[in-house]
Amino acid sequence: MPGNPPTSAGTPNRIQKPMRPREHLTGRADWFQIRLGADLFMRYNSLSDIRVVDLTHHIAGPYATRMLAEMGAEVIKIEPPWGEGARRRGPTRGGAGEETVDRGGLFAFLNTNKFGVTLDLRHERAREMLLAMLERADLLFENFAPGTLQKLVGLSPNDILERFPRLSIISISNFGQDGPDRDAPINDLVLFARGGWTYPVGEPTREPLTPPGSLAQYIGGLFAAIGAMQALYARNFALGRGQHVDVSLLEATVATMIYETVAFQYSGVARVRVGKRYLVGPYLIVTLACRDGYAGLHCVTDKQFEGLCEMMGRPELVRDERFRTALLRMVNNDALLAIVEPFFREHDRAFLYREGHKRKLPLVPIPSIAEVLEWEQLKARGYFETLRDPVLGEIRIPGAPLRLSSHRPEPTRPAPRLGEHNGLIFGERFGLDDAELSRLRQAGMI
Amino acid sequence: MSTATHERLRVVDLSMGWAGPLVGAMLTEMGAEVIKIEDTRHFDWWRGSLSMGPPEEHPIERSAVFNTVNRGKLGVTLNLADPRGVEVLKRLAVTADVLIENYSAGVMERLGLSYRVLSELNPRLVMISMPSFGAEGPERDARGYGNTVEAMAGVTGLTGYHDGGQPYTLSNALGDPVGGLNGMFAVMVALHERERTGRGQWIELAQVEAAIPLMAEALLDYQLNGKIPPPRGNRHPRYAPHGIYRCAGEDNWIAVGVESEAQWRALLGALGLEELAADPRFATAEARKRNEDALDDALSRAFGSREVEEIARRLIGAGVPAGQVNSAPAVMADEQIQARGFFVPVERAVVGTHLYPGAVARFSQTPLETDRPAPLLGEHNETVLREVLGMSDAEIEALERAGIIGTRPLE
Repeated sequence: MPGNPPTSAGTPNRIQKPMRPREHLTGRADWFQIRLGADLFMRYNSLSDIRVVDLTHHIAGPYATRMLAEMGAEVIKIEPPWGEGARRRGPTRGGAGEETVDRGGLFAFLNTNKFGVTLDLRHERAREMLLAMLERADLLFENFAPGTLQKLVGLSPNDILERFPRLSIISISNFGQDGPDRDAPINDLVLFARGGWTYPVGEPTREPLTPPGSLAQYIGGLFAAIGAMQALYARNFALGRGQHVDVSLLEATVATMIYETVAFQYSGVARVRVGKRYLVGPYLIVTLACRDGYAGLHCVTDKQFEGLCEMMGRPELVRDERFRTALLRMVNNDALLAIVEPFFREHDRAFLYREGHKRKLPLVPIPSIAEVLEWEQLKARGYFETLRDPVLGEIRIPGAPLRLSSHRPEPTRPAPRLGEHNGLIFGERFGLDDAELSRLRQAGMI
Repeated sequence: MSTATHERLRVVDLSMGWAGPLVGAMLTEMGAEVIKIEDTRHFDWWRGSLSMGPPEEHPIERSAVFNTVNRGKLGVTLNLADPRGVEVLKRLAVTADVLIENYSAGVMERLGLSYRVLSELNPRLVMISMPSFGAEGPERDARGYGNTVEAMAGVTGLTGYHDGGQPYTLSNALGDPVGGLNGMFAVMVALHERERTGRGQWIELAQVEAAIPLMAEALLDYQLNGKIPPPRGNRHPRYAPHGIYRCAGEDNWIAVGVESEAQWRALLGALGLEELAADPRFATAEARKRNEDALDDALSRAFGSREVEEIARRLIGAGVPAGQVNSAPAVMADEQIQARGFFVPVERAVVGTHLYPGAVARFSQTPLETDRPAPLLGEHNETVLREVLGMSDAEIEALERAGIIGTRPLE
């Protein structure tokens, strides 16, 4: 018999009162049309009242501001006249060389829907122009090394906030704005390693295996984009003014690996590398070789185990003394795997996926990047967008992951060429005439 | 963000697992009142994750992961198979700003809780649905998990050692946190827009579509060059050395990635390997990349006798991108993580006090609140029904007798 239900410890969670009157409850909802079709939606105007000054480079910062731009914010990307580093990063046609100028493929993806201007902030006049832009901005994004912003602009973040009370500054950095390792050198390999993602992946007898690409940069960018929205929310509904938001990529990395950090304290057992298995436990979560590649099996519940046995033509295994319960399946995991592995090796991914799907068994054919691009599900949803990039030509890029019921999208605009919108922004927006613009150009300021 | 205005946000959270609940958890950090709805028959399945034990030990209250991503929420149970349960939920949704759900496609419609219905009752409602692969298309019914989403986004296929072998699943069910973070962003965007238009909206977020942008580089490489990039392991396409090397002791490793001539020299200096600078195999960046196997051998020998923390410190001090490959306890002991106080202690019934990840975004004026515990099953039934819906004791008792609400799991 279960004991008495436990009672809560610690501070009670808050209940709000009184309620705000919901005058809208009587409102009509005739605006409401929902069509989640393939023709919807790519770009929105949800944030059309938000102006962003974007001093970021590389991946995390540009990805954060990309998300805001995709939702309709006006993002003005400021680069030095020689262009930010990611323009020279690959991939480009003919290999991932560093030597390419105007832009690499990743830059073209990360900077869509933004306006691009150049400013050499070593010049006083350029700094004045930046401050003029901040005057009307809601958000300033930067991912320089901590302390650099102040050197570049001549004002500390606090001074800037003092001067532009509606502005919030979103700072993204490797380790945060303080701490003993604030200025330590780092790259993706080290970030993942230190953040705990790497240690449990790979063969027990070999070196731990790092995740591919720059995932942690994107995750840091997501936290920054959310932080920006929260800062706007706080400004609009509570504080009446902006603030400084400090996002550390290392902490973003650690925050997303809760399986280890919290679970370790509960169980006292630290996770180790277990090869093809994801975890050792009362389930079979494993990457399996099949006839034409690999498949990922995620068999957790009794029902899923039943489906697996049936799919293998071995329904009697459900009643097998070794596998009857989840706990027994953990104890006899090797024996179970020895039955499952040969079955997978004899079949191809398409068969396994189809048969698994029929039985609601989470089982996926591990696709290559090329197969992701051609996946029917994504085609049916019109997920990839074809972009005509002025430098790279036609490329397919990931579309917005979210669809909003109240929007029709506009097409995505390609990333700006270096200084593409100098005339538009400095001329039309800030009223600089042609003579002044060409003076600035000659002085190398833009 | 403990400001009166924030507390006006009310959230009804029907989601389970990690991705959906993360959205609600992040909203609690802003001071929102988040009401997590479970059913005593079908409680959040994540309560069973990494948690086992006899019933008298309340195993469903002992899941480290459930207790992490449901912090700060109010726990309410409702039997949604009963129309009276659905009715209570509807009444809560009418008072809410946000509703979060990640049921399979079609479940909300069957319950009579589609966005069409709810938005007629409450046009300001922002509702987010988070199907793994999308609410339409041939895979709309596929049950997804963080790991399967990760695979279908192309991540797994690129996770492998540089010298071949099988692909590996990452350590943290990537599809879940990435789906949840995108969901949180979307909700904040919709709340922002609502103040301008006066109306909420329905957000559909396919988790796999949230994860694919993280693979943009590989997707573009393939398109621009026509070749499927192979897994690179710990290596870098241009730089060497770039790898993970065993240090002294049981299972201690250091990650080192050298990207410049200065870093290369600093590495050799720190390891006392200056003689390698003159070795023609390693004389230039191109040569080091060409002879990477030999280079890795030499470095493995040099690191093998080193104490990992000491050598990591020395390399960082010398300006080399390097760091210990942290296991879970090492992450929590990491100097930088500790100095910024990233983990926060939270006391919770049944399990006691543990450290949980704190706020990633540090706000100078309105710090996020991360120190409230996850609810026990049905812990706040009475409080919520009484204070939010104004129910009488008799009404609440009637619901309890009818099994609409409860605090014990039922099979």
